[in-house]
Amino acid sequence: MKHGYDTEELIAALATPWGESALAVIRTSGTGSVEKIASIFKGNKDITKLPGYSLAFGMLRDGDKAVDQVVLGIYRAPKSYTGEDMVEIFCHGSLPGIQAVMELLHKAGFRDAQPGEFTLRSFLNGKVDLTKAEAVNELILSKSRQAQVLALDRLSGSIFDAIDRAKHLLADIMAAVEIQLDYAEDEADPAAGFDMDKLDQASDILSRLAATYQVGKLYKEGIRIALAGRTNAGKSKLFNLFLKEDRSIVSDIRGTTRDYIESSVAVKGIPAVLIDTAGLRTSSDPVEAEGIRRSNLVIENADIILYLVDGSEGLTPEDRTFIKEHPCIPLWNKTDIAREAAPDGFIPISAVTGAGFGELEELIYTKAMGNGRLDTGEAVIDSQRQKDLIERSLDAIGKVRIGMAAQMPLDVVAVDLEEAVDALGELTGEITSSDILENMFSHFCVGK
Amino acid sequence: MDFDAIVIGGGHAGIEASLALARLDFSTLLITQNIDTIGKLSCNPAVGGLSKGNIVREIDALGGEMAHLIDHTMIQFRMLNKSRGPAVQAPRAQADKFAYSALAKYTLEHQKNLHLFQDTVTDFILSSDSHSIEGVITERNMRFTARAVVLTTGTFMEGRIFIGPYSKVSGRIGEPAAEGLGVSLRRMGFDVGRLKTGTPARVKKSSLDYDKMEMQPGDEEVLQFSFFGEKVVRPKVPCWITYTNEKTHQIIRDNFHRSPLFSGMIVGTGPRYCPSIEDKVKRFPDRPRHQIFVEPEGLESEEMYLNGISSSLPEEVQNQFLHTLPGLEHVEVVRPGYAVEYDYLNPLQLYPSLMTKRLKGLFIAGQTNGTSGYEEAGCQGLMAGINAAMYLQGKSPLVLSRTEAYIGVLIDDLVTLGTKEPYRMFTSRAEHRLSLRHDTADFRLLEKGYEAGLVCDEIHQQFVEKRTKIDEVKELLIQRHLGAKELEKVEQEELVSTLRHHIGKTFDQIIRDPEVRLDQLLSLDPSIGDGVRKEWLDQIELDLKYDGYIARQERQNSRVERMEKLRIPEGFDYDAVESLSAESRLKFKQVLPATLGQASRISGVRTSDIAILMIHLGKKNGSTAD
Repeated sequence: MKHGYDTEELIAALATPWGESALAVIRTSGTGSVEKIASIFKGNKDITKLPGYSLAFGMLRDGDKAVDQVVLGIYRAPKSYTGEDMVEIFCHGSLPGIQAVMELLHKAGFRDAQPGEFTLRSFLNGKVDLTKAEAVNELILSKSRQAQVLALDRLSGSIFDAIDRAKHLLADIMAAVEIQLDYAEDEADPAAGFDMDKLDQASDILSRLAATYQVGKLYKEGIRIALAGRTNAGKSKLFNLFLKEDRSIVSDIRGTTRDYIESSVAVKGIPAVLIDTAGLRTSSDPVEAEGIRRSNLVIENADIILYLVDGSEGLTPEDRTFIKEHPCIPLWNKTDIAREAAPDGFIPISAVTGAGFGELEELIYTKAMGNGRLDTGEAVIDSQRQKDLIERSLDAIGKVRIGMAAQMPLDVVAVDLEEAVDALGELTGEITSSDILENMFSHFCVGK
Repeated sequence: MDFDAIVIGGGHAGIEASLALARLDFSTLLITQNIDTIGKLSCNPAVGGLSKGNIVREIDALGGEMAHLIDHTMIQFRMLNKSRGPAVQAPRAQADKFAYSALAKYTLEHQKNLHLFQDTVTDFILSSDSHSIEGVITERNMRFTARAVVLTTGTFMEGRIFIGPYSKVSGRIGEPAAEGLGVSLRRMGFDVGRLKTGTPARVKKSSLDYDKMEMQPGDEEVLQFSFFGEKVVRPKVPCWITYTNEKTHQIIRDNFHRSPLFSGMIVGTGPRYCPSIEDKVKRFPDRPRHQIFVEPEGLESEEMYLNGISSSLPEEVQNQFLHTLPGLEHVEVVRPGYAVEYDYLNPLQLYPSLMTKRLKGLFIAGQTNGTSGYEEAGCQGLMAGINAAMYLQGKSPLVLSRTEAYIGVLIDDLVTLGTKEPYRMFTSRAEHRLSLRHDTADFRLLEKGYEAGLVCDEIHQQFVEKRTKIDEVKELLIQRHLGAKELEKVEQEELVSTLRHHIGKTFDQIIRDPEVRLDQLLSLDPSIGDGVRKEWLDQIELDLKYDGYIARQERQNSRVERMEKLRIPEGFDYDAVESLSAESRLKFKQVLPATLGQASRISGVRTSDIAILMIHLGKKNGSTAD
């Protein structure tokens, strides 16, 4: 079933850019939005009694837990941007904070607004004029196309495959159940039964996926940037340049950084965890050898690897091997004293003078934002929506189990089964009733 | 004009269409190739079944005829899928084919305003601008004029039958096809395709050995299809079950090459859900056997129908493999099985009213639209008849939604998605099937039938009384609390231990426990159900037991309903909406959806394009800034 733009539902979206700032504004809209927010808000006034254009101050709460201190702007229909009741939430602008407020809103019954949806509602309620609406057309079109591409990108590879596999397992079960619902007892293929194994497999796949979700992995923890390179390539100097403070021991003696050091930084507003690794070389010192082993692990798990080459010494065979084997951004460091210019594909930089640092930051930013999820190799879900849908499916699978155990009638079990398939369908493509019929006819011999 | 309306064809669609028009006071001419084959059950001798039984009862609620016909001619009744849940239970009855057909003819003959005429329509008379229909021309060159025409040709339009190498222009075996009409429709620019279906052999009753087959009796308790029809007592006759075996399959395999299905003689697409035996053997080579039902064709007939073994293999091959079935060792074939290929019109060419987009006043119903099944045909005939009447009065058509009837699902699927194989109804096609139970068809549709003028005052009054009574009982169940002392009087220990958890709750709450039945609760307080018919009590029980699930579906329904309210005006210019994607634009222009809801169901249409349409429709409706 297509959901699309349902104008009766409560929607929410961050209205300010996604990045660290002093304040962030989250906008919500829909009939009943004030009451809904009131249920998670404890403040100086009862907002359900407030007229439009008034402010309230207080705490957003998840049960007993305080989530954020906020100011609420109340708008009453039809005098609001969308023409519906609206609440604007002014909250603290830290990324984990915004994330927490959005999660609370989801829990309370708001869903993420789709691109252009506030404006769409505003148009449908007669709040914007026609010229503006034409612009909305373009907006919806371009954004949703981009969003479709993005959504596919996000799910590319292993996650898509895993979800799709679970979805098809469920669809197989559904076909076997539907056969029994669509043909009389004496006509249905005796081979059609309820396949509990398939249900277990599907729920295993989904449970594992759901467990990989780390709340706002990218944003809460930040992207993981590892600095790698031979010893004395200037990693710690670059690390400090990022930090703009002396956290790492910077010395000219090789092998000073025996373990790895990490620190949170912001790269053009995007939170990142910067990790300075031990220099890559074999060592007989057991302590240093352990440091190198750990460094390798860190490098394997990083979202972005910055590989530093000492430009004053040139490329060594070790450097060539590393660059060949790892997806990384190769840096040509020490341009202030290097004898040759950076080879093709290398970013010239000087960790001492800071030359080229701006370009590097730009590149990291593009990499982090441009493709949505960074390729970490492991299948990890990173959006609240993916997690919600997978959990909705798991929840429905649980109900199917209960229904089967309690010997509930099949037509009722089928409702939950359909829910389980539909939730995944929103991630990897809808399964229609004709797909199910197709599955039925190809797997089972039916018909008098 | 000679008549208000003309109905072409006297099958299950034609019967409903002509009766609806005549009953709504329009002088109607029904033209059929043979007056004696009106209402013939061409294939299996049964009416109803899963989702189909629901359709028959929906036809009844709207004021159609099919339920009466089967109620008066059934020779066995069964309630199917009782074990699998209320939403997918459905009534099915074996029919006495000959009695059914005779009663259909009798009913048409005695209908006021309805005239029957035997001839074959070969062409249409069009208005001078070629935009509207004005009548028909027959094989014998008769001309009849009318403002509305309902076309229900079944398998007869350019029909051709196949039995092995034998092939003949025919609509049914022994009956000529309607030639010329398909050519005319193609000439007029209609998209006409070919479909195929098949039927099994009929064999002599006395040549079978019943000791070698399993008997399949009907239910003792009979539920009539018609909600308020008079009670009829009918005889009960059993069916029989036998199975194919490896020998049967070997004979079929050895002769695959002689099947017109595999040799390429038949080009039309057949139904996957009702495959021929050669198809089953080919596609499922591992199955050791296939079930065959042996069903009587009628009380006075010596013919038996072999359900599950339709075939178009050569007659000697059919003969050979039939002899391998237990009980059929000495079988005498009366009529062979055969395949039939026929013209159908791509239903994307229709509005949800079943009127063609190309020609005003021309309605199409039944198998001609690519469906299969008597029930599917009948309900389309009824809707086409009602909507032809609406058209004649200049009123807006009656379009049922997917949330209120299987009929709504069927027509919406046809006109929104089209079909490339014979379309049969399945409960799984209905996303709201819990709300489409057969026993609630009157609650869903009777008022609509009454408004349309097909349900008479007397029936409507009976319905209102039923509704009032059911509401009363539900109210009583809400008010009645279970007292601790009451349990002392109950003798069944199991019931006592179940009910003990419910002391203090209302009956309305207790009935939601899957372990508790309504009759058990009523035994504590018989006054609640006093004088209430059993099937009404059943309905109440199901309504309450599945309330939670139904409520869940109703929330989804209301979402659908909202989208259905957003109408797209006729003649909407999709080319003027620049930002639509090319694919969606093409699909919108082909389907010409009547509502935004229908538009959103067209396969492959993007959500963003629906949003854009929404915006443009908003603009048309003139909603601007306050």
